[in-house]
Amino acid sequence: MPPIMDRQIYTVGLNHKTASVEIRERFALSAPCFSEESAIPLSQDIAEVAVLSTCNRVEITAVGASANAPETLLNAWAAACRHTVEELKPYVYVLSGAEAVTHFFHVASSLDSMILGEPQILGQMKSAYRRAVSLKTSRVILNRLFHRAFTVAKRVRTETGIASSAVSISYAAVELARRIFGDMRAYTAMLIGAGDMAELAATHLLHAGIAQVLVANRTLEHARILAGRFNGEAFELTALSSRLHEADIVISSTGAPGLVITPEHIRNVMKKRKNRPMFFIDIAVPRDIDPAINKFDNVYLYDIDDLKEVVETNMGQRREEAHKAQSIIEEECGLFLEWLNSLALQPTIVSIVERGRQIARDEFLKTAKRLGNLDQNTYDAVQDMLEAVVKKMNHDPIVFLKQQYALEKDSGERCIDYAQRMFNLNKDRKKSRMHRRTGCFFTPPALTARNKESA
Amino acid sequence: MMTSELLAILTVCLYALGAVCILAGTLARRKSVCAGGEMLALCGFIAHTVSLGLGLGQQYLGSFDRGYLLQVLSWCLLAVVFLIWWRLKLAILLLFAVPITLALYVFSLHMAGSIRQLPMSMARPFFLLHIGTLFSSLAFMSAGFGAGIVFLILENKIKNKQPLSGFQRDLPALATFDKVNKISVFLGFPLFTIGIVSGFIWAEIVWGRSFSGDPKEIVSLGILALYAVFFHQRMALGWQGKKTAAMAILIFVVSLFSLYANTILNTHHSFA
Repeated sequence: MPPIMDRQIYTVGLNHKTASVEIRERFALSAPCFSEESAIPLSQDIAEVAVLSTCNRVEITAVGASANAPETLLNAWAAACRHTVEELKPYVYVLSGAEAVTHFFHVASSLDSMILGEPQILGQMKSAYRRAVSLKTSRVILNRLFHRAFTVAKRVRTETGIASSAVSISYAAVELARRIFGDMRAYTAMLIGAGDMAELAATHLLHAGIAQVLVANRTLEHARILAGRFNGEAFELTALSSRLHEADIVISSTGAPGLVITPEHIRNVMKKRKNRPMFFIDIAVPRDIDPAINKFDNVYLYDIDDLKEVVETNMGQRREEAHKAQSIIEEECGLFLEWLNSLALQPTIVSIVERGRQIARDEFLKTAKRLGNLDQNTYDAVQDMLEAVVKKMNHDPIVFLKQQYALEKDSGERCIDYAQRMFNLNKDRKKSRMHRRTGCFFTPPALTARNKESA
Repeated sequence: MMTSELLAILTVCLYALGAVCILAGTLARRKSVCAGGEMLALCGFIAHTVSLGLGLGQQYLGSFDRGYLLQVLSWCLLAVVFLIWWRLKLAILLLFAVPITLALYVFSLHMAGSIRQLPMSMARPFFLLHIGTLFSSLAFMSAGFGAGIVFLILENKIKNKQPLSGFQRDLPALATFDKVNKISVFLGFPLFTIGIVSGFIWAEIVWGRSFSGDPKEIVSLGILALYAVFFHQRMALGWQGKKTAAMAILIFVVSLFSLYANTILNTHHSFA
């Protein structure tokens, strides 16, 4: 396998933009595929691999040890799904290097999601990472990539407003209720009718901490079933006029052909409520609530079209925020690639340090002969001193080397070559490898002799 | 440099930095910057309090320093806003209150040393009660005014289904601003009433007549009547929302006008 600095990051995948749901289902790589005998095993071509498989995307991110890596990944993927590569290829995108890293950060930050800014993708990426770690297919580079991606996602969420507004109708209704009432714990919600969307909105309200849920329906039995789900109270629709004043938030979704709530109702209700605010959400078509009630003080009415408009506006705001996120991603991608490139410099840096240690060791051995037997404390002190001298001597050249390496537009080979020639490293490589195994700066000759005796 | 001068410079700097941070944090929607600004303003308020405490020893019952009075007024304003900030976690009022306090404080430094002698007959503790309660009630009125303005803007947007833009999305719920309105009338009205009644009792003791037909007295009685109606409707009839926000704005504007009238009319309430 080639050394770590020659490796490249690849992403092969398909998502909601390139493949229909049937195709995504066909090529999904769900968790059972990744048992001990991983579907995408490590090989001569693949040094590290992680698979993200959700309902909207299947993506394999890998560190390739050769240029054949994408082909190997596609073959393994198609085989795991019991299809041919030709069937898979039309829907797949292959990214490499900076493009792959940028895409990875986009996915983590939910900028590539079907619903921009949705929070689930980050959890799914964390699961994918945990799975790769448990299968031991994520190592130095992928570990770093995942951790960087989690940081990027957090920065995007906190530094932009990408997730600050609701983009579903039911959640938009709850957000509006929050804008009016704030803390929901002292308020009561009433469901009129038993539509799915009303039920969803009620679920969101419960999560927001609403104190009580009342359910009114033509059929008392249906109302009781629904109220049971929310630990609420059910009553017949005929009692609506006498109980409407109890509700602060009303969600109406009956199939009634005419109006269920009229300005007359509201006039009486607001008197009983001493003008406390009420929020009406009418998601029925045809509408259940007369739009004229919105003219009353402290009464707020939103129908399905109003909510759709709120959602559209919020989506627009998220798209604006996504532009701001681009600069964060570019910055983080640059930092990651800088780190990735610096991996190639590591062996040279290690060699420079080792060479310094070797010179110090050789010189000390010469001096030690003249000094005779030295005690342990003296050896330790000299060892510490020489380690410090070598570190300090090498610090500035290494910093300079890193800076020049980062500035070079090509792979930095020229920089590495100069450094190796300047420090004469090729000659010392063998020796340094040998001494690295000893684990300490150097072995004092006197101690070695003593050890031999005890053995 | 004297301690009082150092404190004054420190107060101005902290208020100015706090105001800038709160404004920048609000516009950029950065909570940490806002929180930093709030802390700076709080430190400024502490410095302000200490400087008032030190200055109290230099005030005499027979005279008053108009600069010092203005400092007391600005302190009351910020004290009330910080009370609301602490109780309701409502920081938006600081956005207005800190710059206003800063402006009043700087103006008070300009007026410092402008001493007006009170007639000996007026040099009584009643003066402190009269001024103290009226200043506090004015501070509550201003908090109600600020909350009322924000309430009306937000309410209008929600009612008319207009999208909230920029920092408006970070504002608390309508109910929070309504609570500020409730606090401002619940505490402001009794304080205002004590201030007015103590003034009349004081006048009765000093001049032998509680009501002298002074324009300031007439306007104040009008404000008291308006405030009483507001208090009754809010507390007894449960008024809330738009009407009460409008009432709070009206009462503050009239009070501000009556305060301004003091400076242009030559009455026994004139501080000019």
